[in-house]
Amino acid sequence: MVSTDGSTMAEPRADAVAPAPAETAGREKKQPRTRIEYRRFNLFHRWMHFLVFVSFTVLVFTGMPLKYEDTQWAQWFMDLFGGVTAAGIYHRLAAIVTVFYWSAEMVVMVVTVLRTRGHMRDRITLMFNAKDVQDIVGMFAWFFGRGPKPQFDRYTYWEKFDYLSLVAGTVIIGVTGFMMWFPIQTTHLLPGYWLNVAFVIHSNEALLAMGVIFIFVHFFSAHLKPESFPLDKVIFTGSLPVEHYKAERPLEYARRVREGTLDEVLVEKTITWKTYAADALWWLITLIAGVSAVMMTAFIIWSVFD
Amino acid sequence: MKWLRHLLLLIAVTSLAAVVAGPATGATAESPLQTPPNDECYECHGAPEAKTKTVDVGGEPRSLYVDRAVFEASRHGKLACTSCHLGFKAGPHDAAQTEGWAATARIDACRNCHADVFTMYRGSFHGTLGFLDPGSKTPVCADCHVAHNIVPPESVEFRRQIDGMCARCHEDAQRTYLDSYHGKAATLGSLTTAVCTDCHGGHRILAPSHPESSVNEAHLIETCGDCHPGANENFIQFLVHVNPRSPRSSFLVWTFYAAYILLITVVFTFGFVHSGLYIYRGFKDGLYGRKHHG
Repeated sequence: MVSTDGSTMAEPRADAVAPAPAETAGREKKQPRTRIEYRRFNLFHRWMHFLVFVSFTVLVFTGMPLKYEDTQWAQWFMDLFGGVTAAGIYHRLAAIVTVFYWSAEMVVMVVTVLRTRGHMRDRITLMFNAKDVQDIVGMFAWFFGRGPKPQFDRYTYWEKFDYLSLVAGTVIIGVTGFMMWFPIQTTHLLPGYWLNVAFVIHSNEALLAMGVIFIFVHFFSAHLKPESFPLDKVIFTGSLPVEHYKAERPLEYARRVREGTLDEVLVEKTITWKTYAADALWWLITLIAGVSAVMMTAFIIWSVFD
Repeated sequence: MKWLRHLLLLIAVTSLAAVVAGPATGATAESPLQTPPNDECYECHGAPEAKTKTVDVGGEPRSLYVDRAVFEASRHGKLACTSCHLGFKAGPHDAAQTEGWAATARIDACRNCHADVFTMYRGSFHGTLGFLDPGSKTPVCADCHVAHNIVPPESVEFRRQIDGMCARCHEDAQRTYLDSYHGKAATLGSLTTAVCTDCHGGHRILAPSHPESSVNEAHLIETCGDCHPGANENFIQFLVHVNPRSPRSSFLVWTFYAAYILLITVVFTFGFVHSGLYIYRGFKDGLYGRKHHG
């Protein structure tokens, strides 16, 4: 979630060698099975994602019924939450969580940018750059079979879009949300018709964010695209098999090899029953979230065209 | 023997009181506050055959059937039929009795007991629209409060019906209301959110241009302040009945609405095309199910 990979800066080490996965293959059978994995996300990233995941879901499910209030499913959700007032309280609690994670992200982002000053040019960034334009063109060429698939660095353009739209969208939806939460205080500063504007923005920004997260960018990139199908659970586990990452983000991998920083992000993962239990949990969570997201999307499409 | 004189006096006074009170007690037997002999009315109007019979009231067919259980459970359940149906005698009713009923039902039937409410209504915007004419669309008492299954106006059941009642004439106002936060919350079951009468008043509704209207600019701080303590000059510039989809309603609000619809269309279309092509290429190249990793 931060603008770099979040790992600590280290002096490039010329002697660093990536342990090949093959080294671990020939162990005795009685030893616990281990695997060398690439640590893509650290604990901070994973916790941030968890907070976003939970609060965003609560916000969508308590808010969308209000946008489509004249439908059966809206009433059904309200009954589930225990009425409009209760849903409003959950919505505001999730809003507080949102303020918290957004602020934490900003602090870490600023600190990271300051600490890595001078290295940013070479390191991965979450800001759009010229490479992204080339990648978009390259991807469309690949879609139509007119070129190879572009090689990606740590973050692809759709991931940057996902991240930046969340950071910016949170400001828009947060400010308008707080305006409506505290209408009297708002009108100490602004004429009342800005509350009407806030209402329109909040409602439509929510639809936009939901569409981006649930359907196009997030759901697609974590589940539907061939490289991830059926589930890319790296944001929960933090690491993934090295070969997998190398295939998905060859540029970052190559740079780490070149700079000799690869061993910073390699972890030896012991595979026990806990690994499988955790996997099952991620499957369950994402399945529930996925089914809910598809359901909500279907409801809304149905409402719009009804 | 002073006590005997006192006793006699007491007896005399009591007897006199009884004599005086006698006719008064007789009067309460006919008073609307005692369960009346409505049986006679139900003989015809409670009979199943009445369900199919109608009478023309102000150009609309009205059923002659009265559900006794519904009426007796209503707030007026203890009243005699004739306390509202003034001038009716045991039937069959002759033309003299039924002729004037359409006009009586509009006002007099209620005014006898609710004179104070009638005075308020008479001074309201609705009260100036020719309410005595049975052909008029002006709402009168029974249009909102209905007749036989009248419910307490402070009840939840009544509150939930209010916007629908007003919408019989004020359809546009209902649409923008239901589009607002107040209306959405009300639709989803909130009982604390504002309904029409909370801002406009009930019996004494006045046009917003009227200086005494609760929604006249001069009174808005007070009216909004009922629920939003601290409402100020800025606060009352909130647009209560606004349609974001129309630039004529509020150009500012519409601008944001239109911009978002455009943005959503562009982003969703791009996302749809991009994802679709990606999946298409994935199938075409057989990427699904292939292990990219060791």
